Amino acid sequence: MKISVCIGSSCHIKGSHQVVDGLRTLIAQYHVSDQVELAGNFCLGSCQLGVCVTIGEKVYSVSPETVEEFFKTEVLSQLNQ
Amino acid sequence: MNELCADVGYKSINHHGELLCGDHVDVVEQGESSSVIVLADGLGSGVKASILSTLTSKIISTMMAQGMSLEDCVETIAATLPICSIRGLAYSTFTIIHLVNNWQAELIQFDNPPVIFIRNGKSLDYSMTEMNIDGKRIYKSVIYLQENDLFVAMSDGCPHAGMGGIYNFGWKREEIASFMEEKSGMGYTAKALSALLVDECNKLYGGKPGDDATACVIRIRRRVPMSILFGPPASRDDNDRMLSLFFSKAGKHIICGGTTSTIVSNYLGKPLRPSLDFVESDIPPIAELEGVDLATEGVITLSRVLEYARDYLQDDLLYDKWSVGRDGASLICRMLFEEATDINFFAGKANNPAHQDKALNFAIKMNLVEELADCLKKMGKRIKVSYF
Repeated sequence: MKISVCIGSSCHIKGSHQVVDGLRTLIAQYHVSDQVELAGNFCLGSCQLGVCVTIGEKVYSVSPETVEEFFKTEVLSQLNQ
Repeated sequence: MNELCADVGYKSINHHGELLCGDHVDVVEQGESSSVIVLADGLGSGVKASILSTLTSKIISTMMAQGMSLEDCVETIAATLPICSIRGLAYSTFTIIHLVNNWQAELIQFDNPPVIFIRNGKSLDYSMTEMNIDGKRIYKSVIYLQENDLFVAMSDGCPHAGMGGIYNFGWKREEIASFMEEKSGMGYTAKALSALLVDECNKLYGGKPGDDATACVIRIRRRVPMSILFGPPASRDDNDRMLSLFFSKAGKHIICGGTTSTIVSNYLGKPLRPSLDFVESDIPPIAELEGVDLATEGVITLSRVLEYARDYLQDDLLYDKWSVGRDGASLICRMLFEEATDINFFAGKANNPAHQDKALNFAIKMNLVEELADCLKKMGKRIKVSYF
């Protein structure tokens, strides 16, 4: 699975750095680094959505506060399927 | 015109306890490829010396740049300078370096330590002709320029450094020359070289200079063109026009902006690979894109570049950050401040609807380009800005 985090200006200000750090920690914590690839992405044109994170084609809005929730509900559940 | 240009930089330190420097450097451009650089050292120190040297360097540089003869300049100075009430003298020593068409350098020296001339990493002697103008013995030399030639003009505060302390007779000119020889081939800018020399003097003075000390360095280098693209054009229809012009320019290409990078990536048909390496936590990461030399985020990165540029022109306190940093802003700084001599700005006027908050709005973006272009001009670069 490939997770892309937007590192454009707008998302940067909304905390993409913290989201990337959060995801890195969670990936290590749940030992899924062999299944998940983390990448950067420039502007996806949905700046209003806060930090844009994409899995496949789908764009999610994630903030530093919701990163753990996003990881559990979206990433882990999709991995377990 | 040839492919050469001059990089001029200087730095002064004041006599311990003085607020003003008694040395003054003035640079006047004379058309596209000629300039007059004057380093003057006023008698004594403090405000009196400062007035003498400022007047001297301003008068000479302005008059020379207008094509007046040296005799006229010297006469004017003698007639203009106020006479010191204690010493009964109106006196300021000076060094003039007149670069003509970036082809020859005319050195005119009066009582300052002789200019050090370094070619291919070796300090060379050059012939001088003595002239007598108004009873002053003035020495003139002509040197034909080559790439990487280095001229170091100093006030006597440099060779006096350490006198009576570390050295009995100060820091000898030959020793300064070999100090500069070592540094000459290391890719430093003229400004960095002058700072290295003056900082060393300050060290030899034990941080309490006994005299004003100034170094002015001129580095002859090849012109290096560079282009920087910032923001998408106001109309999508102009994408191709803007990019084909951008890529037709010689030299390195820098791209700033996420959306801009994506457009370029489509134009070139090459994948854009943003890195997730936050080297500097408050600067967004850079991206890899085949066909361009550097791709970075836009506004935040360029704001930082502007901050570094302003500092470089004033106090030069942040040099240690951008001269080694691996973040996008530092990389741009090194390319623009150190490497480039001619910079083409391609500024897109598209307004990103998502960027409405204070930090990113459109006015700030357009100001950035203007202010950065202004700073780069002050660094002696030739700048052209085109809006799309």
